[in-house]
Amino acid sequence: MPNLVVLLFGEFKRIVEYKIAAASIVVALIWIGVLYLTEAPDITFFFPLLLFLDGTSMAILMVGVTIFFEKQEGSLRTILVTPISKTDYLLTKILITVSASVLTLVLLYIYAVIFKPVSLNFFALLGAVMLVSLFHSLVGFILSYYSKDFTSLLMNMFVYTLAFMIPTMLEHFNLLAHNLFSKLLYLAPTKAAITLLYASAGTISSGELIYALLYLVIGSALLFIYALKHFDSFAAREGGV
Amino acid sequence: MFQVKNLTYKYPRNQANTIKGLDFEIRQGEIFGLLGPSGVGKSTTQKIMVRLLTNYRGEIYYRNRDLITYDKDYYQEIGVGFEVPVHFSKLTAEENIAFFKKLYHNKADTDTLMKRLGIYDDRKKKVSEFSKGMKIRLNFVRAMLNNPVMLFLDEPTIGLDPANARILKNLIKEYREQGGTILLSTHLMNDVDELCDRVAFMVDGQIAEIDTPQNLKRKYGKSTVEVEYVKDSSLVKTAFNLETISSDNLFFELVRREKIISIHSNETTLDDIFIKVTGVESYA
Ligand SMILES: Nc1ncnc2c1ncn2[C@@H]1O[C@H](COP(=O)(O)OP(=O)(O)OP(=O)(O)O)[C@@H](O)[C@H]1O
Ligand SMILES: [Mg+2]
Repeated sequence: MPNLVVLLFGEFKRIVEYKIAAASIVVALIWIGVLYLTEAPDITFFFPLLLFLDGTSMAILMVGVTIFFEKQEGSLRTILVTPISKTDYLLTKILITVSASVLTLVLLYIYAVIFKPVSLNFFALLGAVMLVSLFHSLVGFILSYYSKDFTSLLMNMFVYTLAFMIPTMLEHFNLLAHNLFSKLLYLAPTKAAITLLYASAGTISSGELIYALLYLVIGSALLFIYALKHFDSFAAREGGV
Repeated sequence: MFQVKNLTYKYPRNQANTIKGLDFEIRQGEIFGLLGPSGVGKSTTQKIMVRLLTNYRGEIYYRNRDLITYDKDYYQEIGVGFEVPVHFSKLTAEENIAFFKKLYHNKADTDTLMKRLGIYDDRKKKVSEFSKGMKIRLNFVRAMLNNPVMLFLDEPTIGLDPANARILKNLIKEYREQGGTILLSTHLMNDVDELCDRVAFMVDGQIAEIDTPQNLKRKYGKSTVEVEYVKDSSLVKTAFNLETISSDNLFFELVRREKIISIHSNETTLDDIFIKVTGVESYA
């Protein structure tokens, strides 16, 4: 079996055994609960928002938590002295995280289709979720590189939320509308993420769509290169303790 | 197997170098002991040689090729036994071994290894439920699961009871008999006496002595024979030099005339040599 396949099976087994998979299904159920409780007759406006929360923070957490466990129990050190390449190591966690996000999407979409009227293009959503989750799993790596323990990982996530996610949502709901602020927000990855997710509702301009796509695709490529490049010093830090 | 030349290493967070110019070689088929007081840099040296730490200065050649030119396939050939637990704690021992084994071309008979180390019956237990000694034994199985040609062992017997330590040492010797090469760091001098073909003593980030245990004993030796006897109803103790004893008339007179209580020969032990070479006698 090629290494990547071995790694994927291994990682999958571990997220099950470490109850990370269960936690992520619980979160999906919570999203469904939220959908159930919404008074709005049409959840088209609401649906992408849940995927936004899931594809950003849950993706960061998924990568962050698995790396945290590996650091804590020392298995990371073993991984580092096996023939696993750093590319395969990164790809494994990315693929598992993106799959988890897609699973959440599928669960939510099935619920929505059965119980609530929703006019969203599934395949547009699928593409958007995958791209947003890919980008944020890479954010998860970078944050993990610079977190010495779980507390500092949470702190770093908190900073990310405060700096990017909250302003994005405030602007999205027109709670904060200032011209310069709205312009600056285009720099935030979360703005690109929310834009792309709402593209599935067909309510954004093609200019915005192109902006969001380019941002996330090029951004992911750059983050991937960065994560690869800095993996060795991360490994030396963690393997050397 | 390995040539290490003027190896120097500084941890990024530290001011001073931890490793300050090491020179040694490890020959094919030998057990090379890396000894020295706690904190001297034994584990650091091992981590450099297994490429966990990469920004070193100096040169390391593995099989006559610069270590930095190797890619991940280097790990196909070596086995690494850490001094700390390093498994997926929520997977069973068997699942851990099975996962890592799939990553290698060469696969050892790990069932037999687990049986010999007495953890086969516990293979379906989660590693988090293992005792310390069981984890250490599992570490060894994992280090061996790719039939490595070169084995790095960092204090492999620390934390094992005498019976299990015995079994592990036998496995180590068998591995050498089958042509394996080992870098072993430890501060248990009994293990060194039993296992090591050559040893290097590290002091302050450098190598202070490097030789076979026998030669070191000869060099630092002051082997004596101590005779205890009764004279005028009190106990008297006299020491003779073992090397000149055959021509020492005083000794023969004693043995012939006095009531001997005991005769002991004192050979220099590696413990003595360790203390002498490393200069660690007391901190206060
Ligand atoms: N990750 C690290 N960052 C900074 N300094 C470190 C790190 N790891 C070890 N050191 C320092 O490097 C020195 C050598 O440590 P090392 O673990 O190599 O010692 P050792 O000879 O294996 O000791 P022991 O016999 O206690 O295992 C120590 O002074 C230690 O404090
Ligand atoms: Mg050590």
